[in-house]
Amino acid sequence: MITRRRFGQLAGGSVLTAAAGGVAAPAIAQGKAKVVVIGGGAGGATAAKYIAKDSAGAIEVTLVEPSKQFVTCFHSNLYLGGVKKFEEITHTYDKLASAHGIKLNHQLAASVDRDKKQVKLADGSMLAYDRLVLSPGIDLKYDSVPGWGKEHEETMPHAWKAGPQTKLLKAKLDAVADGGVIIMIAPPNPFRCPPGPYERVSMMAHALKAAGKTKCKIIVLDAKDKFSKQALFMEGWAAQYPGMIEWLAPSVHDGIKSVDPKTNTVTTGFETYKGAALVNVIPAQMAGAFARDAGLVNESGYCPIDPTNMKSAKDANIYIIGDACIAGDMPKSAFAANSQAKAAAMMVRGELAGAKTFPARYANTCWSLIDTDNTVKVGGRYEAKDGKISAVENFISQTGETAALRKQTQEENIGWYAGITADIFG
Amino acid sequence: MAIGSNRFAGIAVATAVLLSNFPALAAADIAYGEYLANECVTCHQRSGNYSGIPSITGWPAETFVQALNTYRWRERTNPIMQTIADQLTDADMAALAAYFEQLGPPQLSSDEPAPGKACGDAPTADGKTKTC
Repeated sequence: MITRRRFGQLAGGSVLTAAAGGVAAPAIAQGKAKVVVIGGGAGGATAAKYIAKDSAGAIEVTLVEPSKQFVTCFHSNLYLGGVKKFEEITHTYDKLASAHGIKLNHQLAASVDRDKKQVKLADGSMLAYDRLVLSPGIDLKYDSVPGWGKEHEETMPHAWKAGPQTKLLKAKLDAVADGGVIIMIAPPNPFRCPPGPYERVSMMAHALKAAGKTKCKIIVLDAKDKFSKQALFMEGWAAQYPGMIEWLAPSVHDGIKSVDPKTNTVTTGFETYKGAALVNVIPAQMAGAFARDAGLVNESGYCPIDPTNMKSAKDANIYIIGDACIAGDMPKSAFAANSQAKAAAMMVRGELAGAKTFPARYANTCWSLIDTDNTVKVGGRYEAKDGKISAVENFISQTGETAALRKQTQEENIGWYAGITADIFG
Repeated sequence: MAIGSNRFAGIAVATAVLLSNFPALAAADIAYGEYLANECVTCHQRSGNYSGIPSITGWPAETFVQALNTYRWRERTNPIMQTIADQLTDADMAALAAYFEQLGPPQLSSDEPAPGKACGDAPTADGKTKTC
Protein backbone atom coordinates (compact mmCIF):
# COMPACT_ATOMS: atom_id res chain seq x y z
CA MET A 1 0.00 0.00 0.00
CA ILE A 2 2.73 2.43 0.98
CA THR A 3 4.57 1.62 -2.19
CA ARG A 4 1.60 2.39 -4.37
CA ARG A 5 0.84 5.57 -2.47
CA ARG A 6 4.44 6.69 -2.72
CA PHE A 7 4.50 5.93 -6.39
CA GLY A 8 1.33 7.95 -6.76
CA GLN A 9 3.11 10.86 -5.09
CA LEU A 10 6.11 10.51 -7.33
CA ALA A 11 3.99 10.31 -10.45
CA GLY A 12 1.95 13.30 -9.32
CA GLY A 13 5.14 15.21 -8.65
CA SER A 14 6.42 14.51 -12.12
CA VAL A 15 3.26 15.78 -13.71
CA LEU A 16 3.42 18.95 -11.61
CA THR A 17 7.04 19.46 -12.54
CA ALA A 18 6.20 19.19 -16.19
CA ALA A 19 3.31 21.58 -15.82
CA ALA A 20 4.84 24.20 -13.56
CA GLY A 21 8.56 24.11 -14.10
CA GLY A 22 10.67 23.69 -10.99
CA VAL A 23 7.92 24.59 -8.54
CA ALA A 24 7.17 21.02 -7.62
CA ALA A 25 10.78 19.94 -7.33
CA PRO A 26 10.82 20.08 -3.52
CA ALA A 27 7.82 17.79 -3.48
CA ILE A 28 9.78 15.26 -5.49
CA ALA A 29 12.76 15.58 -3.21
CA GLN A 30 10.55 15.08 -0.20
CA GLY A 31 8.97 12.14 -1.93
CA LYS A 32 12.26 10.31 -2.37
CA ALA A 33 12.16 7.35 -0.09
CA LYS A 34 14.70 7.28 2.72
CA VAL A 35 16.38 4.26 4.22
CA VAL A 36 18.65 4.45 7.23
CA VAL A 37 20.92 1.49 7.88
CA ILE A 38 22.48 1.20 11.32
CA GLY A 39 25.64 -0.88 11.59
CA GLY A 40 28.32 -1.24 8.92
CA GLY A 41 29.18 -4.90 9.33
CA ALA A 42 28.44 -7.82 7.05
CA GLY A 43 24.69 -7.30 7.41
CA GLY A 44 24.32 -3.53 7.35
CA ALA A 45 26.90 -2.73 4.69
CA THR A 46 25.47 -5.41 2.40
CA ALA A 47 21.92 -4.14 2.90
CA ALA A 48 22.96 -0.53 2.23
CA LYS A 49 24.82 -1.54 -0.91
CA TYR A 50 22.07 -3.72 -2.35
CA ILE A 51 19.32 -1.18 -1.66
CA ALA A 52 21.35 1.65 -3.20
CA LYS A 53 22.79 -0.35 -6.09
CA ASP A 54 19.54 -1.89 -7.22
CA SER A 55 17.32 1.13 -6.75
CA ALA A 56 19.60 3.31 -8.90
CA GLY A 57 19.00 6.52 -6.99
CA ALA A 58 15.30 6.04 -6.31
CA ILE A 59 16.01 5.47 -2.61
CA GLU A 60 18.27 7.62 -0.47
CA VAL A 61 20.41 5.32 1.67
CA THR A 62 22.33 6.49 4.74
CA LEU A 63 24.69 4.11 6.49
CA VAL A 64 25.31 4.99 10.14
CA GLU A 65 28.51 3.44 11.43
CA PRO A 66 30.94 5.06 13.91
CA SER A 67 34.08 3.43 12.48
CA LYS A 68 35.70 4.47 9.24
CA GLN A 69 37.33 1.09 8.89
CA PHE A 70 35.81 -2.29 9.44
CA VAL A 71 37.84 -5.20 10.78
CA THR A 72 36.14 -8.49 10.02
CA CYS A 73 35.58 -10.92 12.85
CA PHE A 74 35.62 -13.59 10.18
CA HIS A 75 39.22 -14.56 9.44
CA SER A 76 40.42 -12.68 12.55
CA ASN A 77 41.43 -16.11 13.86
CA LEU A 78 43.66 -16.43 10.81
CA TYR A 79 45.36 -13.22 11.85
CA LEU A 80 45.78 -14.70 15.33
CA GLY A 81 47.37 -17.80 13.82
CA GLY A 82 49.77 -15.77 11.69
CA VAL A 83 48.07 -16.86 8.48
CA LYS A 84 46.77 -13.40 7.54
CA LYS A 85 47.94 -9.85 8.15
CA PHE A 86 45.77 -7.37 10.02
CA GLU A 87 45.50 -5.21 6.90
CA GLU A 88 44.01 -8.16 5.07
CA ILE A 89 41.01 -8.24 7.39
CA THR A 90 40.52 -4.45 7.40
CA HIS A 91 38.17 -2.73 4.94
CA THR A 92 36.88 0.76 4.23
CA TYR A 93 33.48 2.06 3.19
CA ASP A 94 34.84 4.29 0.44
CA LYS A 95 33.35 2.37 -2.48
CA LEU A 96 29.92 2.22 -0.91
CA ALA A 97 29.87 6.01 -1.14
CA SER A 98 31.69 6.51 -4.44
CA ALA A 99 30.22 3.63 -6.45
CA HIS A 100 26.74 3.37 -4.98
CA GLY A 101 25.94 6.84 -3.67
CA ILE A 102 25.43 5.74 -0.09
CA LYS A 103 25.63 8.56 2.44
CA LEU A 104 28.09 7.59 5.16
CA ASN A 105 27.48 8.96 8.62
CA HIS A 106 30.34 8.02 10.90
CA GLN A 107 28.85 8.38 14.31
CA LEU A 108 26.95 6.35 16.84
CA ALA A 109 23.20 6.00 16.49
CA ALA A 110 21.82 7.01 19.88
CA SER A 111 18.10 6.20 19.77
CA VAL A 112 15.06 5.85 17.58
CA ASP A 113 11.59 7.37 17.75
CA ARG A 114 9.62 4.60 16.10
CA ASP A 115 6.40 6.61 15.93
CA LYS A 116 8.03 9.57 14.20
CA LYS A 117 10.35 7.29 12.23
CA GLN A 118 13.44 9.25 13.20
CA VAL A 119 16.87 8.14 14.35
CA LYS A 120 18.77 10.38 16.72
CA LEU A 121 22.53 10.37 16.31
CA ALA A 122 25.20 10.92 18.96
CA ASP A 123 25.61 14.59 17.95
CA GLY A 124 21.89 15.18 18.43
CA SER A 125 21.03 15.37 14.74
CA MET A 126 18.03 13.47 13.43
CA LEU A 127 17.66 11.18 10.43
CA ALA A 128 14.15 10.56 9.13
CA TYR A 129 13.44 7.22 7.53
CA ASP A 130 10.73 5.40 5.64
CA ARG A 131 12.40 2.10 6.47
CA LEU A 132 15.10 1.41 9.03
CA VAL A 133 17.49 -1.51 8.62
CA LEU A 134 19.16 -2.55 11.86
CA SER A 135 22.32 -4.60 11.89
CA PRO A 136 23.79 -3.72 15.28
CA GLY A 137 25.54 -7.04 15.84
CA ILE A 138 26.07 -8.35 19.35
CA ASP A 139 26.93 -6.84 22.68
CA LEU A 140 28.85 -8.75 25.31
CA LYS A 141 27.22 -9.62 28.62
CA TYR A 142 29.98 -8.30 30.84
CA ASP A 143 28.27 -9.65 33.94
CA SER A 144 28.06 -13.24 32.72
CA VAL A 145 31.47 -14.37 33.98
CA PRO A 146 31.93 -13.93 37.77
CA GLY A 147 34.80 -11.57 38.54
CA TRP A 148 35.25 -10.39 34.94
CA GLY A 149 33.88 -7.16 33.46
CA LYS A 150 34.52 -4.50 30.86
CA GLU A 151 37.24 -3.02 33.03
CA HIS A 152 39.15 -6.30 32.69
CA GLU A 153 39.02 -6.72 28.93
CA GLU A 154 42.55 -5.36 28.54
CA THR A 155 43.89 -7.95 30.98
CA MET A 156 41.69 -10.82 29.91
CA PRO A 157 40.68 -9.95 26.33
CA HIS A 158 37.55 -11.26 24.66
CA ALA A 159 38.50 -10.33 21.08
CA TRP A 160 34.93 -11.18 20.08
CA LYS A 161 34.53 -7.81 18.39
CA ALA A 162 37.36 -7.45 15.92
CA GLY A 163 39.72 -4.50 16.14
CA PRO A 164 42.09 -3.47 18.93
CA GLN A 165 40.99 -6.47 20.99
CA THR A 166 42.12 -8.77 18.19
CA LYS A 167 45.57 -7.21 18.14
CA LEU A 168 45.75 -7.35 21.91
CA LEU A 169 44.94 -11.04 22.01
CA LYS A 170 47.58 -11.79 19.39
CA ALA A 171 50.20 -9.76 21.27
CA LYS A 172 49.40 -11.67 24.44
CA LEU A 173 49.45 -15.00 22.60
CA ASP A 174 52.81 -14.25 21.01
CA ALA A 175 54.20 -13.34 24.45
CA VAL A 176 53.27 -16.70 26.00
CA ALA A 177 56.41 -18.63 26.95
CA ASP A 178 56.83 -22.29 26.13
CA GLY A 179 55.02 -24.33 28.74
CA GLY A 180 52.51 -21.57 29.50
CA VAL A 181 48.87 -22.38 30.13
CA ILE A 182 46.18 -20.58 28.14
CA ILE A 183 42.60 -20.64 29.36
CA MET A 184 39.67 -19.93 27.07
CA ILE A 185 36.24 -19.44 28.60
CA ALA A 186 33.82 -20.35 25.81
CA PRO A 187 30.31 -18.84 25.70
CA PRO A 188 26.83 -20.33 26.04
CA ASN A 189 24.45 -20.44 23.07
CA PRO A 190 23.39 -18.42 21.20
CA PHE A 191 26.50 -16.49 20.26
CA ARG A 192 28.32 -14.98 17.29
CA CYS A 193 30.14 -17.52 15.12
CA PRO A 194 29.46 -20.95 16.65
CA PRO A 195 32.69 -22.58 15.40
CA GLY A 196 34.71 -19.43 16.18
CA PRO A 197 36.07 -20.33 19.63
CA TYR A 198 37.28 -23.68 18.37
CA GLU A 199 38.90 -22.31 15.24
CA ARG A 200 40.54 -19.77 17.56
CA VAL A 201 41.92 -22.53 19.75
CA SER A 202 43.24 -24.23 16.61
CA MET A 203 44.93 -21.04 15.42
CA MET A 204 46.39 -20.39 18.87
CA ALA A 205 47.91 -23.88 18.84
CA HIS A 206 49.08 -23.31 15.26
CA ALA A 207 50.92 -20.13 16.24
CA LEU A 208 52.44 -21.73 19.33
CA LYS A 209 53.56 -24.78 17.37
CA ALA A 210 55.06 -22.60 14.63
CA ALA A 211 57.05 -20.80 17.33
CA GLY A 212 58.27 -24.12 18.75
CA LYS A 213 56.25 -23.67 21.94
CA THR A 214 54.66 -27.11 21.91
CA LYS A 215 54.81 -27.50 25.69
CA CYS A 216 52.06 -24.91 25.98
CA LYS A 217 48.60 -26.07 26.88
CA ILE A 218 45.26 -24.55 25.93
CA ILE A 219 42.36 -25.42 28.20
CA VAL A 220 38.85 -24.63 26.98
CA LEU A 221 36.32 -24.22 29.76
CA ASP A 222 33.06 -24.39 27.86
CA ALA A 223 29.57 -23.38 28.93
CA LYS A 224 28.20 -25.99 26.51
CA ASP A 225 28.13 -29.78 26.48
CA LYS A 226 28.85 -29.87 22.76
CA PHE A 227 29.95 -27.47 20.05
CA SER A 228 29.95 -26.83 16.32
CA LYS A 229 32.02 -29.25 14.19
CA GLN A 230 33.12 -30.94 17.42
CA ALA A 231 34.21 -34.26 15.93
CA LEU A 232 36.18 -32.45 13.22
CA PHE A 233 37.99 -30.16 15.65
CA MET A 234 38.69 -32.98 18.11
CA GLU A 235 40.14 -35.12 15.34
CA GLY A 236 42.26 -32.23 14.08
CA TRP A 237 43.54 -31.27 17.53
CA ALA A 238 44.60 -34.83 18.31
CA ALA A 239 46.40 -35.17 14.99
CA GLN A 240 48.01 -31.74 14.66
CA TYR A 241 48.48 -30.55 18.24
CA PRO A 242 48.82 -33.68 20.41
CA GLY A 243 48.63 -32.86 24.11
CA MET A 244 48.24 -29.14 23.52
CA ILE A 245 44.44 -28.69 23.66
CA GLU A 246 42.07 -29.86 26.35
CA TRP A 247 38.34 -29.18 26.00
CA LEU A 248 36.21 -29.48 29.13
CA ALA A 249 32.42 -29.58 29.18
CA PRO A 250 30.56 -28.00 32.11
CA SER A 251 29.77 -31.47 33.42
CA VAL A 252 33.54 -31.92 33.81
CA HIS A 253 34.69 -28.50 35.08
CA ASP A 254 31.49 -27.84 37.05
CA GLY A 255 31.10 -24.24 35.95
CA ILE A 256 33.15 -21.05 36.16
CA LYS A 257 33.00 -19.96 39.79
CA SER A 258 35.23 -16.91 39.47
CA VAL A 259 38.06 -15.28 37.57
CA ASP A 260 40.68 -13.00 39.07
CA PRO A 261 42.19 -10.69 36.44
CA LYS A 262 44.88 -9.51 38.91
CA THR A 263 46.46 -12.94 39.17
CA ASN A 264 45.17 -14.41 35.89
CA THR A 265 43.42 -17.09 37.89
CA VAL A 266 40.32 -19.01 36.86
CA THR A 267 38.41 -21.07 39.40
CA THR A 268 35.95 -23.73 38.34
CA GLY A 269 33.89 -26.02 40.53
CA PHE A 270 36.54 -28.64 39.98
CA GLU A 271 39.90 -26.89 39.82
CA THR A 272 41.75 -23.60 40.22
CA TYR A 273 44.04 -22.53 37.39
CA LYS A 274 46.50 -20.06 38.93
CA GLY A 275 48.71 -17.66 37.04
CA ALA A 276 47.63 -18.54 33.53
CA ALA A 277 49.84 -17.15 30.77
CA LEU A 278 46.73 -15.90 28.97
CA VAL A 279 43.01 -15.92 29.72
CA ASN A 280 40.62 -15.34 26.83
CA VAL A 281 37.12 -14.68 28.15
CA ILE A 282 34.37 -15.00 25.56
CA PRO A 283 31.25 -14.07 27.54
CA ALA A 284 27.56 -14.60 26.86
CA GLN A 285 26.05 -12.28 24.24
CA MET A 286 22.90 -10.38 23.28
CA ALA A 287 21.65 -8.08 20.54
CA GLY A 288 23.40 -4.70 20.22
CA ALA A 289 22.27 -1.92 22.56
CA PHE A 290 20.45 0.08 19.90
CA ALA A 291 18.05 -2.79 19.24
CA ARG A 292 17.57 -3.48 22.94
CA ASP A 293 16.93 0.17 23.77
CA ALA A 294 14.45 0.41 20.91
CA GLY A 295 12.36 -2.34 22.48
CA LEU A 296 12.92 -4.69 19.57
CA VAL A 297 14.22 -7.70 21.55
CA ASN A 298 12.29 -10.38 23.36
CA GLU A 299 13.16 -12.21 26.58
CA SER A 300 16.05 -13.97 24.82
CA GLY A 301 17.90 -10.67 24.37
CA TYR A 302 17.69 -10.98 20.58
CA CYS A 303 15.22 -9.61 18.03
CA PRO A 304 12.32 -11.67 16.72
CA ILE A 305 11.76 -11.24 12.98
CA ASP A 306 9.33 -12.27 10.26
CA PRO A 307 11.22 -15.10 8.53
CA THR A 308 9.64 -14.29 5.16
CA ASN A 309 11.20 -10.83 4.91
CA MET A 310 13.52 -10.07 7.92
CA LYS A 311 11.12 -7.45 9.30
CA SER A 312 11.04 -6.92 13.02
CA ALA A 313 8.13 -8.78 14.60
CA LYS A 314 7.55 -5.63 16.65
CA ASP A 315 7.74 -2.86 14.01
CA ALA A 316 6.78 -3.15 10.34
CA ASN A 317 9.00 -0.21 9.38
CA ILE A 318 12.14 -1.86 10.71
CA TYR A 319 14.18 -4.73 9.31
CA ILE A 320 16.64 -6.52 11.59
CA ILE A 321 19.43 -8.64 10.15
CA GLY A 322 22.61 -10.34 11.25
CA ASP A 323 23.73 -11.46 14.68
CA ALA A 324 21.11 -9.37 16.53
CA CYS A 325 18.11 -11.18 15.06
CA ILE A 326 16.57 -14.53 15.86
CA ALA A 327 17.18 -16.30 12.57
CA GLY A 328 15.84 -19.75 13.44
CA ASP A 329 18.15 -22.46 12.17
CA MET A 330 20.69 -19.99 10.76
CA PRO A 331 23.79 -19.40 12.87
CA LYS A 332 25.10 -15.95 13.75
CA SER A 333 27.68 -15.55 11.00
CA ALA A 334 28.82 -13.00 8.44
CA PHE A 335 27.66 -15.28 5.65
CA ALA A 336 24.19 -15.47 7.22
CA ALA A 337 24.07 -11.70 7.77
CA ASN A 338 25.04 -11.08 4.15
CA SER A 339 22.35 -13.50 2.99
CA GLN A 340 19.67 -11.96 5.23
CA ALA A 341 20.72 -8.48 4.10
CA LYS A 342 20.04 -9.30 0.47
CA ALA A 343 16.57 -10.60 1.31
CA ALA A 344 15.83 -7.48 3.37
CA ALA A 345 17.20 -5.19 0.64
CA MET A 346 14.92 -6.80 -1.92
CA MET A 347 11.89 -6.38 0.36
CA VAL A 348 12.78 -2.74 1.08
CA ARG A 349 13.03 -2.01 -2.63
CA GLY A 350 9.73 -3.78 -3.12
CA GLU A 351 8.06 -1.58 -0.54
CA LEU A 352 9.65 1.74 -1.45
CA ALA A 353 10.47 1.50 -5.13
CA GLY A 354 7.95 -1.01 -6.42
CA ALA A 355 10.68 -3.51 -7.28
CA LYS A 356 9.66 -7.07 -7.99
CA THR A 357 10.15 -9.34 -5.01
CA PHE A 358 10.61 -13.08 -4.75
CA PRO A 359 10.37 -15.45 -1.79
CA ALA A 360 13.36 -14.97 0.50
CA ARG A 361 16.05 -17.64 0.26
CA TYR A 362 18.84 -17.85 2.76
CA ALA A 363 22.21 -19.60 2.83
CA ASN A 364 25.17 -20.04 5.11
CA THR A 365 28.57 -21.69 5.14
CA CYS A 366 31.17 -21.46 7.90
CA TRP A 367 34.73 -22.53 7.12
CA SER A 368 37.17 -23.21 9.94
CA LEU A 369 40.91 -23.53 9.60
CA ILE A 370 42.37 -26.23 11.87
CA ASP A 371 45.96 -26.18 10.61
CA THR A 372 47.80 -25.22 7.43
CA ASP A 373 45.75 -26.36 4.45
CA ASN A 374 43.38 -28.24 6.74
CA THR A 375 39.97 -26.60 6.63
CA VAL A 376 36.49 -27.91 7.38
CA LYS A 377 33.09 -26.42 6.68
CA VAL A 378 29.48 -26.59 7.76
CA GLY A 379 26.51 -24.97 6.12
CA GLY A 380 23.01 -25.11 4.86
CA ARG A 381 20.21 -23.56 2.90
CA TYR A 382 17.14 -22.11 4.52
CA GLU A 383 13.70 -20.69 3.87
CA ALA A 384 10.74 -19.43 5.85
CA LYS A 385 8.81 -22.41 7.14
CA ASP A 386 6.81 -23.14 10.28
CA GLY A 387 7.09 -19.54 11.45
CA LYS A 388 10.88 -19.39 11.42
CA ILE A 389 13.87 -19.57 9.13
CA SER A 390 14.19 -23.33 8.76
CA ALA A 391 16.96 -25.39 7.26
CA VAL A 392 15.93 -27.20 4.10
CA GLU A 393 19.32 -28.84 3.62
CA ASN A 394 22.53 -29.05 5.65
CA PHE A 395 26.04 -30.30 5.04
CA ILE A 396 29.21 -30.72 7.07
CA SER A 397 32.75 -31.91 6.36
CA GLN A 398 33.51 -35.47 7.39
CA THR A 399 36.18 -36.83 9.69
CA GLY A 400 38.92 -38.70 7.87
CA GLU A 401 38.81 -36.55 4.74
CA THR A 402 41.88 -36.55 2.49
CA ALA A 403 44.51 -33.85 2.80
CA ALA A 404 43.76 -32.84 -0.78
CA LEU A 405 40.11 -32.20 0.01
CA ARG A 406 40.98 -30.23 3.14
CA LYS A 407 43.41 -28.13 1.12
CA GLN A 408 40.77 -27.51 -1.51
CA THR A 409 38.37 -26.45 1.25
CA GLN A 410 40.94 -23.94 2.48
CA GLU A 411 41.28 -22.50 -1.03
CA GLU A 412 37.50 -22.17 -1.00
CA ASN A 413 37.68 -20.44 2.39
CA ILE A 414 40.16 -17.88 1.06
CA GLY A 415 38.09 -17.43 -2.08
CA TRP A 416 34.94 -16.95 -0.05
CA TYR A 417 36.58 -14.21 2.00
CA ALA A 418 37.63 -12.36 -1.13
CA GLY A 419 34.16 -12.85 -2.57
CA ILE A 420 32.09 -11.80 0.41
CA THR A 421 34.22 -8.76 1.22
CA ALA A 422 33.95 -7.64 -2.42
CA ASP A 423 30.21 -8.27 -2.16
CA ILE A 424 29.91 -6.24 1.05
CA PHE A 425 32.33 -3.37 0.47
CA GLY A 426 33.01 -3.36 -3.29
CA MET B 1 2.47 -21.38 0.25
CA ALA B 2 3.54 -18.69 -2.12
CA ILE B 3 6.92 -20.31 -2.48
CA GLY B 4 5.43 -23.51 -3.80
CA SER B 5 3.19 -21.83 -6.32
CA ASN B 6 6.02 -19.63 -7.52
CA ARG B 7 8.22 -22.63 -7.99
CA PHE B 8 5.58 -24.35 -10.09
CA ALA B 9 5.06 -21.25 -12.17
CA GLY B 10 8.80 -21.15 -12.61
CA ILE B 11 8.97 -24.70 -13.86
CA ALA B 12 6.52 -23.89 -16.61
CA VAL B 13 8.70 -20.99 -17.67
CA ALA B 14 11.79 -23.16 -17.55
CA THR B 15 10.28 -25.82 -19.69
CA ALA B 16 9.53 -23.28 -22.35
CA VAL B 17 13.04 -21.93 -22.08
CA LEU B 18 14.70 -25.32 -22.27
CA LEU B 19 12.61 -26.39 -25.23
CA SER B 20 13.69 -23.34 -27.13
CA ASN B 21 17.37 -24.07 -26.43
CA PHE B 22 18.31 -20.99 -24.38
CA PRO B 23 16.98 -18.09 -26.41
CA ALA B 24 17.45 -14.61 -25.04
CA LEU B 25 15.34 -14.59 -21.93
CA ALA B 26 12.73 -12.00 -21.18
CA ALA B 27 13.77 -9.14 -18.90
CA ALA B 28 11.72 -10.64 -16.09
CA ASP B 29 13.78 -13.81 -16.23
CA ILE B 30 17.03 -11.85 -16.13
CA ALA B 31 15.67 -10.03 -13.08
CA TYR B 32 14.84 -13.35 -11.48
CA GLY B 33 18.29 -14.61 -12.41
CA GLU B 34 19.89 -11.57 -10.81
CA TYR B 35 17.89 -12.15 -7.66
CA LEU B 36 19.04 -15.76 -7.52
CA ALA B 37 22.59 -14.71 -8.43
CA ASN B 38 22.78 -12.62 -5.29
CA GLU B 39 23.34 -15.92 -3.50
CA CYS B 40 26.13 -16.95 -5.87
CA VAL B 41 28.11 -13.73 -5.64
CA THR B 42 28.80 -14.14 -1.95
CA CYS B 43 31.54 -16.51 -3.13
CA HIS B 44 31.78 -16.23 -6.93
CA GLN B 45 32.69 -12.61 -7.56
CA ARG B 46 30.33 -10.85 -9.94
CA SER B 47 33.33 -9.11 -11.49
CA GLY B 48 34.76 -12.47 -12.49
CA ASN B 49 37.81 -12.00 -10.29
CA TYR B 50 39.26 -15.25 -9.06
CA SER B 51 40.69 -15.66 -5.56
CA GLY B 52 40.20 -19.35 -4.86
CA ILE B 53 36.62 -19.81 -6.00
CA PRO B 54 36.06 -20.13 -9.76
CA SER B 55 34.57 -17.33 -11.80
CA ILE B 56 31.15 -18.14 -13.23
CA THR B 57 30.71 -14.82 -15.03
CA GLY B 58 30.20 -14.87 -18.79
CA TRP B 59 29.80 -18.61 -19.15
CA PRO B 60 27.60 -19.83 -22.00
CA ALA B 61 24.17 -20.51 -20.47
CA GLU B 62 24.15 -24.12 -21.58
CA THR B 63 27.51 -24.84 -19.94
CA PHE B 64 26.32 -23.11 -16.79
CA VAL B 65 23.25 -25.31 -16.50
CA GLN B 66 25.28 -28.42 -17.26
CA ALA B 67 27.70 -27.58 -14.50
CA LEU B 68 24.88 -27.12 -11.99
CA ASN B 69 23.37 -30.41 -13.08
CA THR B 70 26.62 -32.24 -12.41
CA TYR B 71 26.16 -31.20 -8.78
CA ARG B 72 22.50 -32.03 -8.77
CA TRP B 73 23.25 -35.52 -10.05
CA ARG B 74 26.24 -35.91 -7.73
CA GLU B 75 28.81 -36.26 -10.51
CA ARG B 76 30.72 -33.51 -8.73
CA THR B 77 31.20 -33.66 -5.01
CA ASN B 78 31.31 -30.20 -3.43
CA PRO B 79 28.54 -30.30 -0.80
CA ILE B 80 27.93 -26.54 -0.94
CA MET B 81 27.27 -26.66 -4.66
CA GLN B 82 25.23 -29.85 -4.27
CA THR B 83 22.87 -28.19 -1.79
CA ILE B 84 22.62 -25.14 -4.03
CA ALA B 85 21.77 -27.28 -7.05
CA ASP B 86 19.26 -29.26 -5.01
CA GLN B 87 17.30 -26.10 -4.24
CA LEU B 88 17.20 -24.83 -7.82
CA THR B 89 14.48 -25.76 -10.27
CA ASP B 90 15.23 -26.04 -13.99
CA ALA B 91 13.69 -22.59 -14.34
CA ASP B 92 15.97 -21.22 -11.64
CA MET B 93 19.04 -22.66 -13.33
CA ALA B 94 18.01 -21.26 -16.70
CA ALA B 95 17.44 -17.81 -15.22
CA LEU B 96 20.78 -17.89 -13.41
CA ALA B 97 22.57 -19.05 -16.52
CA ALA B 98 21.00 -16.29 -18.58
CA TYR B 99 21.95 -13.68 -16.02
CA PHE B 100 25.60 -14.70 -15.75
CA GLU B 101 25.94 -15.13 -19.52
CA GLN B 102 24.67 -11.63 -20.26
CA LEU B 103 27.23 -10.14 -17.85
CA GLY B 104 29.82 -11.00 -20.48
CA PRO B 105 33.33 -12.29 -19.92
CA PRO B 106 35.16 -10.89 -16.91
CA GLN B 107 37.87 -8.31 -17.42
CA LEU B 108 40.79 -10.17 -15.89
CA SER B 109 44.33 -9.05 -15.42
CA SER B 110 46.93 -11.26 -17.08
CA ASP B 111 48.01 -13.00 -13.89
CA GLU B 112 44.57 -14.35 -13.16
CA PRO B 113 43.37 -17.68 -14.47
CA ALA B 114 40.69 -17.75 -17.10
CA PRO B 115 37.11 -18.38 -16.00
CA GLY B 116 36.46 -21.98 -15.11
CA LYS B 117 40.13 -22.81 -14.75
CA ALA B 118 40.25 -22.30 -11.02
CA CYS B 119 40.04 -25.98 -10.24
CA GLY B 120 42.29 -27.00 -13.05
CA ASP B 121 39.51 -28.06 -15.35
CA ALA B 122 36.64 -26.03 -16.69
CA PRO B 123 33.35 -27.81 -17.18
CA THR B 124 33.41 -29.64 -20.48
CA ALA B 125 30.58 -29.88 -22.95
CA ASP B 126 29.39 -33.11 -21.37
CA GLY B 127 29.60 -31.59 -17.89
CA LYS B 128 31.76 -34.41 -16.51
CA THR B 129 34.25 -32.29 -14.61
CA LYS B 130 35.10 -34.02 -11.37
CA THR B 131 36.66 -31.49 -9.05
CA CYS B 132 35.33 -28.56 -6.98
